[in-house]
Amino acid sequence: MALLHGLLWRFLLVLVHVNRALVSWLRVRLRNWKGRLWERAMAALLLPLALAGFPDHQKKLHPNPTNAHSVTGNRSASRRSRWLSDGRSLEKLPVHIGLLVAEEEPSYTDIANLVVWCMAVGISYVSVYDNHGIFQKNNSRMLEEIIRQKQVLLGIDVSKHNVEFLNNGSDTHQHQVVSFRPTVKVLSPEDGKQSIVHAAQQLCRSVENKERSSKDISVSMLDILLRESKNIPDPELVVKFGPVDSTLGFLPWHIRLTEFISLPSHKNVSYEELLGALQRYGTCQQRIGQ
Amino acid sequence: MSWIREGELNLIEKFSANILKAGPMPKHVAFIMDGNRRFARKKNMECLKGHMQGFNKLAETLRWCKHLNIPEVTVYAFSIENFKRTKDEVDGLMELARQKFLKLLEERCFLNVCFAYTSRYEITNAVREMAWGVEQGLIKASDVSESLLSECLYSNNSPNPDLLIRTSGEIRLSDFLLWQTSHSCIVFQSVLWPEYTFWNLCEAILQYQFNYKSIQKARELHREHQALEQLEADRACVAEHLQYHGNSKPVDAHRRQEALQHYIRCREERVQDFIQALKQKRDSYFNDLWSGEVLP
Repeated sequence: MALLHGLLWRFLLVLVHVNRALVSWLRVRLRNWKGRLWERAMAALLLPLALAGFPDHQKKLHPNPTNAHSVTGNRSASRRSRWLSDGRSLEKLPVHIGLLVAEEEPSYTDIANLVVWCMAVGISYVSVYDNHGIFQKNNSRMLEEIIRQKQVLLGIDVSKHNVEFLNNGSDTHQHQVVSFRPTVKVLSPEDGKQSIVHAAQQLCRSVENKERSSKDISVSMLDILLRESKNIPDPELVVKFGPVDSTLGFLPWHIRLTEFISLPSHKNVSYEELLGALQRYGTCQQRIGQ
Repeated sequence: MSWIREGELNLIEKFSANILKAGPMPKHVAFIMDGNRRFARKKNMECLKGHMQGFNKLAETLRWCKHLNIPEVTVYAFSIENFKRTKDEVDGLMELARQKFLKLLEERCFLNVCFAYTSRYEITNAVREMAWGVEQGLIKASDVSESLLSECLYSNNSPNPDLLIRTSGEIRLSDFLLWQTSHSCIVFQSVLWPEYTFWNLCEAILQYQFNYKSIQKARELHREHQALEQLEADRACVAEHLQYHGNSKPVDAHRRQEALQHYIRCREERVQDFIQALKQKRDSYFNDLWSGEVLP
C-alpha cells in the first residue's frame, strides 16, 4: 500500500511540473500571438512609421547596436514614450520595486532589461536580489550590462539614469534619498537579517556604554537605524522570478506590506510580462486592518 | 465536547492524505486567516458571524492537520492594526476569541496563536531582550548574532514554519512572522478563509512538496553563511582581545587558535546563561499575568 501511495505521490508531483511548464509555455505563445496581432494592427495604421521600425516585441532577441543611428534613435524614442505612457496609465506605481531572482544561473541581460523597463515606466527605485549573492559579487558586470541595455533600449541619453550600487556599508552616507534620478541597488542576504543583527549590535553597544536603556528601544528606533545604515525604502512590490515560492531571505524587515507577484522565469522575460505584474499591483488594495 | 471537531476523513480524503504523506510533510504550518469579513459581506450577514465561521473553520483545519500528521500550527488571529476597526467589532471578536481559545487551552493543543501581534514589534522586542541581557551583564554586545536574535523571539520554542498559507487572494505578509518565514514556502490562495476546504490544504501542501528541494538547499546555504559570519565575528573579537592584552608581539597561529577556542566556549556559556535567565524572566511574567487574572 505504501508503495502505491509513493508512486501516486510521484505521479502527482510530475503533474504539477507539467502543469507549470504548460502554463509558462502558453504564456509565451499567447504573448507572441498577441504581439504579432498588435504589430500588424499598428503596421496597417501607421505604415510609414512602421517602415522606420515601430515597437518591436522581439527587440531583446537581436539587440544590434550597430543599426543605423537615426533608425535606432527613432525606435527608442517611440518606445520610450510608449513605456512612459504605460507607466502613467497605471493606477499606481511602486516607488521601490524589488526584483527577486529565485533561479540558478542568472541572465544578466534579462535582468538589465527588467531594470531599464522599470526605470522607463517611471519607477524611481529598483533593487535586484538573489539569495546566493551572485549579483552582488559581480556588480560591476551587472552595472555594465544595465548601461549597455539602457543604450540599446532607450537610445543614447545614458546620463539621465543614475545607477548606484550598494556596497558593504562603506559608502552609505554619500547618497541621500533626495534624488530624482532612479536608483538601482543590488541586494544580497547580507542586507536582510544580517543588517538587522548589526543594528541590534549597535543598540546593545550603546546600552553597554550606558548611553541608552534597554526600555527605550522601540520599533521606530530600529526602523530609523536600519534606514540610516542602508537607506533602503520599503518595497511596495516584489516581482519574483523562478519556480521557488519563497522570499529566500529578501529584506525581512522591509517586506511588511509588500505585494508579491510571481513570474515563471526571468530568462527571455518580456516587457509585457512586467507590465502585467505592474497592472496587477495597480489593482491591489491595502486596507491595513480595515 | 471537544472543540477540534472529532471525526474521521472520508475515504477519498484519507486516500489523498496517504498519498501526500508519501512525500515530505511540513512540520509547522502558519495560516493568515483572511477573508472573514468579505465572506460575511458576500453572504449578507454580520461581520461577527463571518468571524464565527472563521473560528469554526480553524477547528476543522486543525483536525485536517492532525490527520495529515502536521504537529504544529500557527495562526494569525488578530493584528495590532485590526484595533483600528469599529469598537463593536473588536469587542465582539475579542470575546469570541476568548471563548474559543479558552476551550482550546483545555485540549493542550499544538496551536500557536498570534494575537495583537506584528512581526516588527516581535523583532524589536527580541532586540530589547538582548539589550536587557547586556544591561544585566549576562552577555556582551558582540555576542548579538542572528541565532541569538532567533532565540529571543516569541517563537523560540518552535521551529520556523515550513509552509505559510494566506487565503482570500491577498499577496502580502502583513507584518506576520517576517523573520521566521524568510526561508518558508509561501502559498497565496484565493479562497476566502471560511470557505477553505481540505482540498485547498492539500493543494498548498503539494506546492510545498514541489518546492521542498530548492528551499532545503536555500536553507542549507543560509546556515553555512550564518556559521561563517559567527566564526568571523569570533575571530574579530579574539584579535581585538589579543591586540589589547598582548604587548604588540605577533602571536603564533597555535596560540591564536587556542584563544579562539577558549573565546567560543566562553561566549557559548554566556549565551546559555542569558537564555536561561530570559526564560525565567518570561515564565515569571506569565505567572504574574496568570495570578493577576485569577485574583483580580
